Amino acid sequence: MKITFFRYFVRQAMRNMVENRLVHLIGLGTMVIAFLMFDAFILIFVNLNSWTQEQGRSLTMSIYFKGEPERAVIESIKKELLQYPVSTTGFISKDDALKSLRKQLGEKAGLLDGLGENPLPASLEIVLSRDVSGDSLPYELKTRLERIRGVDEVQYSQEWVERFQAIMRAVKLIGLVFGGLLFLAALFIITNTVKLTIYSRKDEIEILKLVGATNRFVKIPFLIEGSIQGFLGGSVALIVLFLVYVAIITKVDLSIGFASLDIIFLSPQFILLLLLMSSIIGFTGSTVSLGRFFRI
Amino acid sequence: MIRLFHVYKSFGSKNPALIDISLTVPKGEFVFVTGPSGAGKTTLLKIIFCAEKPTSGHALVDGRNLMRIKDGELSSLRRRIGVVFQDFKLLPRRTVFENVALSLEVMGVPPSMIRKKVHQTLRYLGLADKEGYYPPQLSGGEQQRIAIARAIVNNPLILLADEPTGNLDYDLTMETMALLKEIHTRGTTVIVATHSQELLKGTRRRIIALHKGRMV
Ligand SMILES: Nc1ncnc2c1ncn2[C@@H]1O[C@H](COP(=O)(O)OP(=O)(O)OP(=O)(O)O)[C@@H](O)[C@H]1O
Ligand SMILES: [Mg+2]
Repeated sequence: MKITFFRYFVRQAMRNMVENRLVHLIGLGTMVIAFLMFDAFILIFVNLNSWTQEQGRSLTMSIYFKGEPERAVIESIKKELLQYPVSTTGFISKDDALKSLRKQLGEKAGLLDGLGENPLPASLEIVLSRDVSGDSLPYELKTRLERIRGVDEVQYSQEWVERFQAIMRAVKLIGLVFGGLLFLAALFIITNTVKLTIYSRKDEIEILKLVGATNRFVKIPFLIEGSIQGFLGGSVALIVLFLVYVAIITKVDLSIGFASLDIIFLSPQFILLLLLMSSIIGFTGSTVSLGRFFRI
Repeated sequence: MIRLFHVYKSFGSKNPALIDISLTVPKGEFVFVTGPSGAGKTTLLKIIFCAEKPTSGHALVDGRNLMRIKDGELSSLRRRIGVVFQDFKLLPRRTVFENVALSLEVMGVPPSMIRKKVHQTLRYLGLADKEGYYPPQLSGGEQQRIAIARAIVNNPLILLADEPTGNLDYDLTMETMALLKEIHTRGTTVIVATHSQELLKGTRRRIIALHKGRMV
């Protein structure tokens, strides 16, 4: 394409948007809402997904002791663990456990003063690094460890993770359907916005054709317009989502008092992908409505 | 250059607008099409630049059969035909400059060239001081001359002018006719449609007279 054509197309697209700003603003607003729902859904989904994967990948096992364990007991456990894919271990003494509970309770820590003896057990937390979901290994380890003298109980979260993963599969399916519907809605909105601007420019299109403009020459500014609009709608939706995200994580930090809730925002790659998708929706919407118009 | 064979054109069930029109306009000719209002002058011009397809018959323009012309060919043909529309067909939201530039823009002429050509043409028509105006801010006569400017700015092979002097006073009419003749001497085939007998008085040019869609 000649550069002069390109300059003309971009100028024309910008101009159309400024001249039909009301139609565009309304279209943009509706699109932002559609994209926002879509993006919010993706964000929730990404978080749930990364969380379950985390849980599935690294299984945490807690070994609780009767009273304060002797050094020899811990040594024998560590020896036992050598054959297993354990990435980290952390010992929590009775005192440590109480301290961290105090910290969690914050102002209400006074409640603990009434207790005579520390009721919390000492524990050893280990993280199994390999993906062990659906494996008999955790169970095997549990029974072996529970045979060691001084060990009270071994707990791990396997069952729960598995159930959660089943739920996630359902969420994925629902997400696919829901996301698809939102996608169609955005497409529908943009198709109609562009159709409105095309109809408001019917005379202009006719005149362009009469002085020898090709169909492509007439169409391209509308396609650029649709893409820009999709991109703008996508950007505004992401910005709004980010603000909501920031508001939520700061709120959560304040009210709970500790940041154990790890909400992540969309990765840059994901953001680029969503922006690209919004632009493509815009482009496609324009193509669809132009197709209809030029057939008439 | 232009050949019509037994062209009929009807709109719906009404009396046909054109009935059995056969004519040849060779390259470089200057022709008048005349006849009372509703005779079919505009329709005839529309057939030639393919805004309407004949209901039956054949039309050849610059070697193209208009009955089965493709979209791409159509636009390239139209770039070689300048049209002064009876109702001007200027874009109200674009300046005079931009309206005239349109004919060049659709061809992909570089901006510096467009500027040069448009200025030259507007000066030629005595409208140089109006280039920043929007058509609704201009008088009917001025708009008509803008329409002429747009039609001739890209040196077309064929110029079709539909009542090009309809809104002009006597002096401007004479001026405009002189202008069309000058364009003609540069090699452009010119067809002027008019119902004004004044314009035809004393001319030695060929006159195609229409009456109720028939050539008379
Ligand atoms: N698009 C159309 N739909 C229906 N009828 C039409 C259309 N265009 C033209 N006609 C009819 O065709 C006939 C010829 O019209 P045309 O515009 O060619 O006349 P004209 O000779 O240019 O008249 P004038 O001098 O008033 O411009 C008229 O009866 C008109 O009503
Ligand atoms: Mg007419």
